[in-house]
Amino acid sequence: MKNPFEAFHQAGVRKREIPLDKILKSKEETLSTILKGYEDLLKNEAKDLVWLMQYSTVIKAYSIAEKGIEGIEYTAEDIEEFCYALDHSDQIPYLITGPAGVYISALCNHAKEEEIYLHLRDLTVKINLLGYRLPTDKKLIVEGNVGDFTGIGLDGGEFIIEGSGKNYTGAGMKRGRIIVRHNLGFNTGHGMTGGELIVGGRIKGLGKIVGGKIYERDQLIFPHEGIKPFSF
Amino acid sequence: MKNGYYQTKIRGIYKYISDNLYLNRPDVEIKGEHFNSTLLFSLLTGINRGKELIIGEPGLGKTTSAEYVGSILYRYPLGVIWGSEVSGHPEQTEEKIIGRPHLGELNKGKERVVWSNFAQIPVKIVDEINRLPETKQSMILNGVDRGNWEYLNEILINDEYSLFATANYQDRGTNTIIAPLIDRFDVLIESRHPGSNIAYIIGKEASSNHPLRHPQYEKELHQILRGDKPYEEKMTLAEGVCNLFGDYLKEHLGLEGLNKDERNNVNEEMVEIDFDLDTNAFVRMALAELSFCHKYGQKRSVEVCEEGCHYTGYLCHHIKNCASNRLPISIRNYAQALAWFLEDDGVDIEHVRLIIPHVLAHRIQWKDSYLSKKEGEGRNDPFQIYLAKEATEEIFQRYNEQREYLLDALSVGYRAFAGEEVTPLEGDHPIYEEIKKDIGVKDEKPL
Amino acid sequence: MEIEEIIKKVWPRVKKKHLFPHLPLPTMIEGGDDCALEIKSKQLSISNAFYEKLKDKMDGEEIVEAVLDHGITHYMYCPWDFHTHLTLYNEAKKVVRQKEQAQRATTYFMDVVTDTYCVKEKNTKIAQLYKNLPKHGMYEVLTSLYEKIWGENLGSGGHEELVNRLSRIPYLERKRWRESIKKFTKVIQDILEKEWENEQQSSQREPNPLGEHSLKNYSLEEIDRGLREFATAVEDLQEFRETVDDLREELEEKGYGTGGMGRGKANPIDANLLYYMKLAESYTLPIRKLPIEKRGYLHPHAHMPWEIGKPFADIDIWTSFGKIIPGITQIWTKREGETHGEFEGTPDCLIVIDSSGSMINPRERLSYAVLGAACACNAYLKLESKAAVYNFSDALRGNKIVLDFNHEKEQIYQAICRYFGGGTAMDLADITYLLSRANNPDIFIITDMQITNLERLIEFFNKIENRVTAVHLGSNVHTTRFKDGTEKKKNISIFNVKNKEDIPKIVLGKVKEYLASPAKWR
Repeated sequence: MKNPFEAFHQAGVRKREIPLDKILKSKEETLSTILKGYEDLLKNEAKDLVWLMQYSTVIKAYSIAEKGIEGIEYTAEDIEEFCYALDHSDQIPYLITGPAGVYISALCNHAKEEEIYLHLRDLTVKINLLGYRLPTDKKLIVEGNVGDFTGIGLDGGEFIIEGSGKNYTGAGMKRGRIIVRHNLGFNTGHGMTGGELIVGGRIKGLGKIVGGKIYERDQLIFPHEGIKPFSF
Repeated sequence: MKNGYYQTKIRGIYKYISDNLYLNRPDVEIKGEHFNSTLLFSLLTGINRGKELIIGEPGLGKTTSAEYVGSILYRYPLGVIWGSEVSGHPEQTEEKIIGRPHLGELNKGKERVVWSNFAQIPVKIVDEINRLPETKQSMILNGVDRGNWEYLNEILINDEYSLFATANYQDRGTNTIIAPLIDRFDVLIESRHPGSNIAYIIGKEASSNHPLRHPQYEKELHQILRGDKPYEEKMTLAEGVCNLFGDYLKEHLGLEGLNKDERNNVNEEMVEIDFDLDTNAFVRMALAELSFCHKYGQKRSVEVCEEGCHYTGYLCHHIKNCASNRLPISIRNYAQALAWFLEDDGVDIEHVRLIIPHVLAHRIQWKDSYLSKKEGEGRNDPFQIYLAKEATEEIFQRYNEQREYLLDALSVGYRAFAGEEVTPLEGDHPIYEEIKKDIGVKDEKPL
Repeated sequence: MEIEEIIKKVWPRVKKKHLFPHLPLPTMIEGGDDCALEIKSKQLSISNAFYEKLKDKMDGEEIVEAVLDHGITHYMYCPWDFHTHLTLYNEAKKVVRQKEQAQRATTYFMDVVTDTYCVKEKNTKIAQLYKNLPKHGMYEVLTSLYEKIWGENLGSGGHEELVNRLSRIPYLERKRWRESIKKFTKVIQDILEKEWENEQQSSQREPNPLGEHSLKNYSLEEIDRGLREFATAVEDLQEFRETVDDLREELEEKGYGTGGMGRGKANPIDANLLYYMKLAESYTLPIRKLPIEKRGYLHPHAHMPWEIGKPFADIDIWTSFGKIIPGITQIWTKREGETHGEFEGTPDCLIVIDSSGSMINPRERLSYAVLGAACACNAYLKLESKAAVYNFSDALRGNKIVLDFNHEKEQIYQAICRYFGGGTAMDLADITYLLSRANNPDIFIITDMQITNLERLIEFFNKIENRVTAVHLGSNVHTTRFKDGTEKKKNISIFNVKNKEDIPKIVLGKVKEYLASPAKWR
C-alpha cells in the first residue's frame, strides 16, 4: 500500500529553539524531581494515606525529605511551583498537608537563597508545618494563609506570614522570629523556648509557653503578669 | 498552452458576465483580488467539470448565472441551454429527464432510446432540484455522479459535463434533497441579492436580442441532438457548431470560450498543481475532525456522541454524520482549479480556506444543539455556509497553533509507515489518533 | 508615500508567513510617533510618524514587516478572540483588583505571548524592533525579559529578579494562559501600581509602542459571542459581573446593550441580566415553526414505473405513451394533502418563578431557577410566541411581579431575575388573570415547592387544561406532595433539578417534545 504520508517525508520542520524552551524544560525536570521526592516521602510515611501528627513522625518525615531533595538543583521559584502543583496539578495523586509542609520546609531550609518568597494566596489548601526548623540564615516570607504547626521548631530564621495561621503556631520554637500579619488560632507558642512571635491580629489562645516573647497587636502578652512561663 | 493563455480567456469570460449579464457585488477576496463568489465558483465548476448546487431566494439569478457560464464556456447558444434544462417539479418523469422510447420504433415493436438534450449536452442544469420528489432524485443519482444515463437497457456516458442545480429555500412545495444526492454535489453556493443600487440597473440595458443567443446555430444543434446518429458522432457534429458559435462570440462580443481540446488541456494543467505541505496537513486535520469518533471508531449518523468525551471541543462532537470520500476529492479539484485560475504555482491554505466552506456546507449534518447555539449569530451568509465557514476557521485556528508539531507528527508517521521504529507523536487532536491508526498502533480505549 | 509602498510590497509575504489571515491591506496613519500600530475592527494601521522616527535605525521594510508580524499575531494567536481577551483580563483582575492595572497587565502579557510566538515560530525582525524602541518603565523590564527568553541582545538589561521569575512562565502554552497571566501579573504588580500612581499624578499615560488592546479591536458580533462563551466558562456570576461592570463604558460606547447589539448608548448594561441571557443562549432549543395538518384526501403527486400486478387505475396514459408495457408505463403515486393547521405557531408561555428566601439570589450566585426560566423564555420567544412572568415571593403582601405577555426579552429577563427573598405564597388570582390574557398558554413553573398555599396551587393545577411544566429544585416533603397531588393530570410534567446540567436538558426535552408536535396540544 502506498505510504499516505509520502508528502511529509522531508517535513522535518526547522525548529527554532529559544532560551525560553530550555528554561521551561529545566523547570519541568526540576519539578518532576521534586515531585518524585515528595511521592517517595508519602510512600514511606503516609501508608494508607494516613499520617499521624506526632513529634517522632515529623522528625522522621523531615529526615526522609532531606534525603529526597539531596542533589536536586532548585531555586525558590521551584519551591513555589511545587506548592502550586500541590494544589492544581494532576501530577500529584494526593495531597496530605502534613508531609507536604515538612517537605516544603526541607526545601526552604536547604535552598540556596537566603530569602524565600512563597506566594500561596491562591492555594485552596492551607499547608501545615511550614517553616519547620527554619535555620538562622534564612528568611521565609509566605504570602497567604497557612495551616497548623507553622514555624514549629524554628531554629533562628525569620518567618513572615502575610496572612493568618491556625493552631500551634511557633510550637517548640527555639530562636528566631515569626511575624504574622493577621490572626492565629489556639495553642500558639506551645512549648516555645525562645525567639519572638509577633502577631498583628488576634490570637485565639496561647499554649503552654516555656520561654521567648509573644506580641499581639504591638502589645507584649508573654511574658506578662497574668501569664507565667510553663515548665514541662 | 501555459503562461496564462487559458486563464486569460476565463478571466475574460468572468469579466464579460459580471459586467453585462450577472450584475452582483464582489464578496470574496483572494490573493488581493475581489470576486463574486457565485460567478467564480460557477466558472470553477465549468472548467473543473464539477457539480454545483446554487441556492438563493427566487429571482436572484441562480439559474441565469449557470446558463451564462455554461453557454460561454462550452460555447452552446443560450437557446440550446434553455432547451436542455430540467425543471424540478413533482410531475417530472424519467422520460422527460433522461430519455424516452422512440415512439415510431416502439409501435414496430423495437426498442430504441431518444435521449433527452439534458442527458446529451455537457452543460446540465437542473432548476429547483429540491422540487423533485425523492424518488426522482434517486433516479438521477448515477447520472449526476458519473454522467452515466440509462434507459431501457441502453446507456449514454458523458465524457465531460458540468452540472448546475438550483434550489430555493425550504418552503411548502419543496422536498429535502436526499443525502446521497446532496453528497454528490461538489460545492454549495448562494446567489445573493446584489444590493439596491445594482438591482436598480439590472435589466436597464436589456435588448430584445440576448447576446448569447444564435437562432441559426440553436436550430442546427437541436437538429443534431434530435437525430439518429450515435452519441459520439452527434457530439463531434455539435462541437463543429459550437466552434462556429465560439467564433461568433469572439467576433461580436470579444469573448473566447474553450473548445473540447482546450478544456482537456486546462484539466491537465490543473491536475498538475500540487498542494503545499501546510495545505496538505490542514486538509487532513479537517478531514480528521469530520470523520473521527473516539468512542465508536468513526462518525456514524446512527451513533450519538455523548457529553464527556475527551474530544468535545472538536467538530466531531457537533456533527452527526461522517464526511464522505467525495469531500477531499471536491476540495482537491476546486482548490486546484482556483489556484490554476489565479495562476499560482501551488495550492496554499488561502485557496482551501476559501473552498472548504462551500465544499462542506451541504454535506454536514449538524447537531440540533449546535444549530441552536449558532442560529442567532449575525452573519452575511446563509446559515449552512456560515456554519461551514465558522467550522473552517475553527480548524484553522487549531492548525495555526500546532502547525509545527503536526508536520512533525506526519513526518514521523511517514517514517513509521515505512517501517522505521519510531514512536508516534501524541497530541490532543483527532489527527494524531488517525496517524496512529494508519501506522498500526492499537488504540486503547479507556473503560 | 514611502511607507504605503512598503506596506503593499511587504503585505503578500507577511500574509503568506502567517497563513493568510483574513485581514484587509493595512493602511498608514499620520501622527502618533509613540505608537506604531493601531488595530480597529481588523484594520491594521501603521503610524507614519513612528516609521519615520525609526527608519534611520532599521531598514524600512523590516520595520513594517515586524510591526505587521506583531499585529497579525494578535489577531491569529493571542488573544484570537474576545473570549480569550476577557478570560485573561478576568484572571489578571484576580491579582491586582484594579481595572486599569488589570488591563495593562493583560496588554503586556498578550504582547509577550505574541512577540515570543513570532520570534519562535516565524522569521521575524521583532527583536530588532525592540532593540530600537525606547526602553522605560515596564518596557524596560519586558525588553530585558525578551533578552533572556529570546537569547537576543536588545540593549537592555537589569531587573534580574523580575526577569528570572518572568522567564519561567510558559507563554506559548495556550492551555496554561490562565495561570500564566496570574503569575505574570503577580510578578509585575509593583510596577503596575507605580505606573498607575504616576498616571494619576501626571494624567498622562505611557502609550504602548506597538499598539493598545481594547474593545475597538472587536466587532459587535465578536463581542457578543465572546460574552456568551465567557458566561459559560466562568466559575460564578460574580466574576462575569465584575468583568462586565469594568468594561461597561466601552461596551456601551460600542453600542452593545443588555438586549444585544446596536441598542445604543441609551440602554445601560445590566451585568446580571446579561449573564443569564448569555448562559441561556448556550442551551437554546431548535423548534419547528410551521405546524402542518393532514387534510385527509389524496392527490396525485409523482410518477413511478408500473409493474405487472399493480393496479391499472392509477396508470397515467400520457406519460406511458399509450402503452401498457413494463418499463414504459408509469403510474401515479398519491399523497395526502397538507395545509396549515387551525392553530399556527406555538402557544405563549406563562413563566412562574419563585424568588422567596429559600431560593438562591440570582444576583449573588448562579440560580438554576432563573437559568431554567431563561431557557424557557428563549425557546418561546424564538418561536415568535410571547412570554409572561409571574415572579412571586410573598405575593399576598405585594412581593410579586406580574408581567403581561410580550416579546420584550429584556423586560422578561428583568422580571425573572428579580429577587424578593421573602416568604412564599402565590396569589392564584394573578395566575388566573395572566392565563386569561393569552390563548391557552403553556405554564412553566420553577420553585422549591416550599409554598405556604401549596394545596391551593395543586387544586388549581388540577382544574386547568393548560400544559404545565413544573420544575422543582431539590426533593422534600412538599415536592412529594405536589407530585402525588397532580399525578393523574396528563398535562402536567414534573422534573427535579439537582445541578446546572439538569435544567436545560429537561427544559429542552419537554418543550421540544410538545412544541415539535403542536397537534398534540390541541
